[in-house]
Amino acid sequence: MKKIIKKALPVFFWIVIWQLVAIIIHNKILMAGPIETLQKLIELSGSESFWASVGSSLGHILLGFVIGTVLGIVFSFLAYKEELVRDFARPIVGLLKTVPVASFVILLLIWLGSSNISIFISAMVVFPIIYVSTLEGFDATDHKLLEMAHTFRMPEGNVIRYIYLPQLIPFFKSSFKLAIGMAFKSGIAAEVIGQPLETIGNGLYNAKIYLETGELFAWTIAIVVISFICEKILLLLLHVMGGRKA
Amino acid sequence: MTIEVKDVTKTFDGRKVLDNFSLDIESEHSYIIAGPSGCGKTTLIRIILGLDKPDEGSVKLLGDYKYPYIVSGTVFQEDRLCDDFTAVENVTMVSHKIFKETAREELEKLLPAEVLDKPVRELSGGQRRKVAIVRACCIPNDILIMDEPLTGLDEKSKEEAIRYIRDKQGSGPLVITSHSGEGFDFGRVVNL
Repeated sequence: MKKIIKKALPVFFWIVIWQLVAIIIHNKILMAGPIETLQKLIELSGSESFWASVGSSLGHILLGFVIGTVLGIVFSFLAYKEELVRDFARPIVGLLKTVPVASFVILLLIWLGSSNISIFISAMVVFPIIYVSTLEGFDATDHKLLEMAHTFRMPEGNVIRYIYLPQLIPFFKSSFKLAIGMAFKSGIAAEVIGQPLETIGNGLYNAKIYLETGELFAWTIAIVVISFICEKILLLLLHVMGGRKA
Repeated sequence: MTIEVKDVTKTFDGRKVLDNFSLDIESEHSYIIAGPSGCGKTTLIRIILGLDKPDEGSVKLLGDYKYPYIVSGTVFQEDRLCDDFTAVENVTMVSHKIFKETAREELEKLLPAEVLDKPVRELSGGQRRKVAIVRACCIPNDILIMDEPLTGLDEKSKEEAIRYIRDKQGSGPLVITSHSGEGFDFGRVVNL
């Protein structure tokens, strides 16, 4: 109970501040308060297009997240095994980490159109995060245990399960947490720029056009909640996968 | 099967650890490699296992042997156990041919039953060493190679462990390194 109060009290404090600021500004276009935002959220959630938008964005971003994660893990393993792969992957990973998402979005819009833009952008943002972190995990694996496994001719599956996985799980935990948040941020940003219909990004853009600040905040809260739920499910999956270690 | 260690020389940081060392390791024989710390016991074992290459000389498998490498039940100088997993899992994980029931039965010969399902990180140094010994003996092997296997064991446990190792030796050779060679009166002592 004490723990819940400790977490909830600051949130409540900042909501009150938000409401006070909204009262002081007294202009719904510039700053919608929490009550109005909540009203908008309830109003939005009653419409079919809201759920269609959430479903579409969620599906696209999660697919991008999965693609980025799988590629990140596969390439980090190849880079761990082969110095050459590591050397050739380094500039690409550096590029993906530093080039602004907006540049990639515009380039992809020219090449591929807007419909699947958030899949590619999420994957591109997730890939370097997972790659770097997983490679770090592989590099930190106890080489004495690997030598033991080699000497005993331990089955490959068991080497992964008993030696690599316990080592990688803590790295996965931190990188997945970061990556899922980044996937949503960049995926939605890509939708705002690319404007695919019936997506959260499109909803945000329309809110901006019609100066509906309340709606803008409502969409934002929806994104935060969805991202939070996805993160928790992901960490739970890791916990189950890693057994005692996670 | 014979493992021929011939004229092996190995140098670390300008210091010759092994100098023209030769030994034929034959089936049904036991070899106690004795000598003080730093005399090259572990280096010799690593070379036999193919984990290190000698600077000069060679290690060959003579006779009719179906693998290009030595299938060894090995105890390393360190325990090399997976800390988050139980004693039983540490034994079964190294081979699909070791079943849970067999592992438990073998571990109970050296360890109390109540520790077998605890993660090995919770076990004492001596208990961990025993898990490493059982793991080496359980895996189907053509030779047992053990680097200071009795480290951290009390006198009674040492006797039990030696009895257990001898019992599991079968027809393959047994190579043990030991600081003093004390307690191993059953094999040929090779002083390094």
